[in-house]
Amino acid sequence: MGIIETKNLVFEYIRRDKDGNADGVVRAVDKVDLDIMHGDFVAILGSNGSGKSTLAKHLNAILYPTEGTVWVDGMDTSENDMMWEVRQTTGMVFQNPDNQIIGAMVEEDVGFGPENMGVETKEIWERVDESLKAVGMIKYRKHAPNKLSGGQKQRVAIAGVVAMHPKCIVLDEPTAMLDPVGRKEVIRTVRALNDVEKITVILITHNMDEVIYANKVFVMENGKVVMQGTPREVFSRVEELEELRLSVPQVTKLAYELNKAGMSLPEGILSIDELVEALCQ
Amino acid sequence: MSIIIDHVSYIYSKGNAYENKAISDINLKIEDGEFIGLIGHTGSGKSTLIQHLNGLLKATGGKIYYNGEDIYDNDYNMKKLRSKVGLVFQYPEHQLFEIDVFQDVCFGPKNLGLSKKEVELRAYTALKQVGLADEYFYQSPFDLSGGEKRRAAIAGVLAMQPEVLVLDEPTAGLDPKGCEEILELIVQLRKDTNITVILVSHSMEEVAKYVDRIIVMNQGGIAYDDTPGKVFMNYRELEQIGLSAPQVTYVMNKLHDRGMPVRTTALTVEEAKEEILRVYGRHF
Amino acid sequence: MIRDITLGQYYPAESILHKMDPRVKLVGTLAFIISLFLFDNVYGYVVATIFLVMTIKVSKVPFSFMIKGLKAIVILMLITVIFNLFLTPGDALVSFWKFTITKQGLRTAVFMMIRLTYLIIGSSIMTLVTTPNNLTDGMEKLMNPLRLIKVPVHEVAMMMSIALSFIPILLEETDKIMKAQMARGADFESGNLINKAKSLVPLLVPLFVSAFRRANDLAMAMEARCYRGGEGRTKMKPLIYHKRDFVAYIVILIYFVGVIMVNYI
Repeated sequence: MGIIETKNLVFEYIRRDKDGNADGVVRAVDKVDLDIMHGDFVAILGSNGSGKSTLAKHLNAILYPTEGTVWVDGMDTSENDMMWEVRQTTGMVFQNPDNQIIGAMVEEDVGFGPENMGVETKEIWERVDESLKAVGMIKYRKHAPNKLSGGQKQRVAIAGVVAMHPKCIVLDEPTAMLDPVGRKEVIRTVRALNDVEKITVILITHNMDEVIYANKVFVMENGKVVMQGTPREVFSRVEELEELRLSVPQVTKLAYELNKAGMSLPEGILSIDELVEALCQ
Repeated sequence: MSIIIDHVSYIYSKGNAYENKAISDINLKIEDGEFIGLIGHTGSGKSTLIQHLNGLLKATGGKIYYNGEDIYDNDYNMKKLRSKVGLVFQYPEHQLFEIDVFQDVCFGPKNLGLSKKEVELRAYTALKQVGLADEYFYQSPFDLSGGEKRRAAIAGVLAMQPEVLVLDEPTAGLDPKGCEEILELIVQLRKDTNITVILVSHSMEEVAKYVDRIIVMNQGGIAYDDTPGKVFMNYRELEQIGLSAPQVTYVMNKLHDRGMPVRTTALTVEEAKEEILRVYGRHF
Repeated sequence: MIRDITLGQYYPAESILHKMDPRVKLVGTLAFIISLFLFDNVYGYVVATIFLVMTIKVSKVPFSFMIKGLKAIVILMLITVIFNLFLTPGDALVSFWKFTITKQGLRTAVFMMIRLTYLIIGSSIMTLVTTPNNLTDGMEKLMNPLRLIKVPVHEVAMMMSIALSFIPILLEETDKIMKAQMARGADFESGNLINKAKSLVPLLVPLFVSAFRRANDLAMAMEARCYRGGEGRTKMKPLIYHKRDFVAYIVILIYFVGVIMVNYI
């Protein structure tokens, strides 16, 4: 069994009209099966309302399934007494950089998680040091978090999660509110965590260019997984992606258009260099 | 309609230890009907500059002329300026507050002291311009989806019937679907009313696709002010100042460096495709 | 103006005051504030001034920072001064129309002004040299005994700590909302009191909505990081007294006693 597994996962909630009366049931997640292995870098792509964030919140027991089961490292998330274990195994980083910060100093914020877990003071300091080094923010340890840039704040949030020694980190649209520089910083940090620290990473996003480093991509729409595969496999299905109103990177689209016009470039081109190489053959 | 920005500077906390030159010696002329893209790294002064256009910030040095009138003249009516230059801030949905969407959009024209009839007419028109269906009008703004809220907020500014519309990253935080809708809205607005638009953006692809003129800011000053084609030719310099160029620009330039006789001016996928086929076409 | 509110803003530096245990600083500030209302002669103010000036010097925080906080209460001070000037009975100094300024009135007004100023500066110093988390840790430790009578000490401390760290964020947001509404022709400056109050609605509603949204997000983030109240929590920076703290306690005691004794001169 992988580190995260879901079977027939369904999540429904009651939609209410403006007077608070029940107006119908919304199926936000519709029979999703996932099997994520230790060390994977998984990306979950989809537009707003596709169910990707709702799905993510099941992975650390913030939400419980209406039907089906979610297992985190063998633990069934619907078992109440396992909740804190689940949350320590799967850490989560959210979209808004400001609304995850507890400490008035970077190092204090990173220590918040270990403090909650009852870790001994000496070890808390060790973990804070390692985590800040792992995200490249050790120089800023005594800074006030609200004076940092968006990308830096998110890296601090990531360090705060890493300090809990999770086996898996879920990042729910961590770059949605960042500028391009911040986005690059965060994705670079996430890749390093997966490559070097071997932490399983699940990246939820609507930006296709962030997904090229993953080893598995799931595309969601209307609560269902409509496409899955390696980035290359998924990127080659340009027409379907465009129908889902996802923004295909220019190089992928260009390669696709050139192929349509008769050229024979390889499928699922992901980067500028790949395209240039292919064209120079 | 014309805006002339003449040697404008703005210094934060002038005179004490925290003095910070947000923008310095800016000279610009904005003509009627232009569609301008304003790009620059975070902190380059974009937000500061646009807040001068509707008088929210007062330049510490230099002058600004709207339709030839000096806006810092004692008799100048700033409130009128704010109705002529509409400024949509980032995450504009954070300004929504009224009981229902319609009332919220009425807020702007009400502040102009117009008659009830005129206020409601403007609100209705603005809501139609942003493509919100009638059924949304009497809902609480907080019940709308993210994209709908944003459109309602933009309608709130359009209801002022400005001659110039300045949008600070109108697509920030939206998914690709949402981004497209907002940009199409702007294009349609221009078609219908020929309104002058200044679009602040972080997406080079977005800006390259839609605007006629790009102003690049760097550290409080203007680095480039030209057509998209010419601006992105300097893609290496743009990288130095924390920006980039559309992906296809890199592709064309790298192909050119490898000896392929392609012109490097393509900015969109369409243009790049045409050019590559033109050069490679001979080979099959 | 909004940026000038220094309460809740920490100024990083390497002074002995920064390193001191927050409990000492809390007790000291409280003692100082209480002391301001215990004396009523010039010598008292002299002693208080010496204490305050020494503290400012030791803190290594630029004086300009502390003065900024006063801007916010200028109105309050003005009202207090005027009330005291004109409404205190006693030996008349100056009279015009129906209003009289008495000698006692002048004295009381000046003393009140100084008291308020010192109160603000004293509290500002405390928040300038102590991080909010440190402060609430200190308060939590000091209030611990209250747990015995079921007071949720930890939860209260956590709430205060979070509220303090969100002050700058909410202030920035207020600025943004104000500008956005001004761009739609809103006028926060002109008009009578009723108009001004009405004009606050487009400012306060979005601010409240935003605050609730942030609170929601933050709660989720805290739970995701295994926060479950005070039970079983350890501390990264546990509070342990050092020699300098005991010395400080003695200094505070000497000051307090001195201020009371000076009353009998």
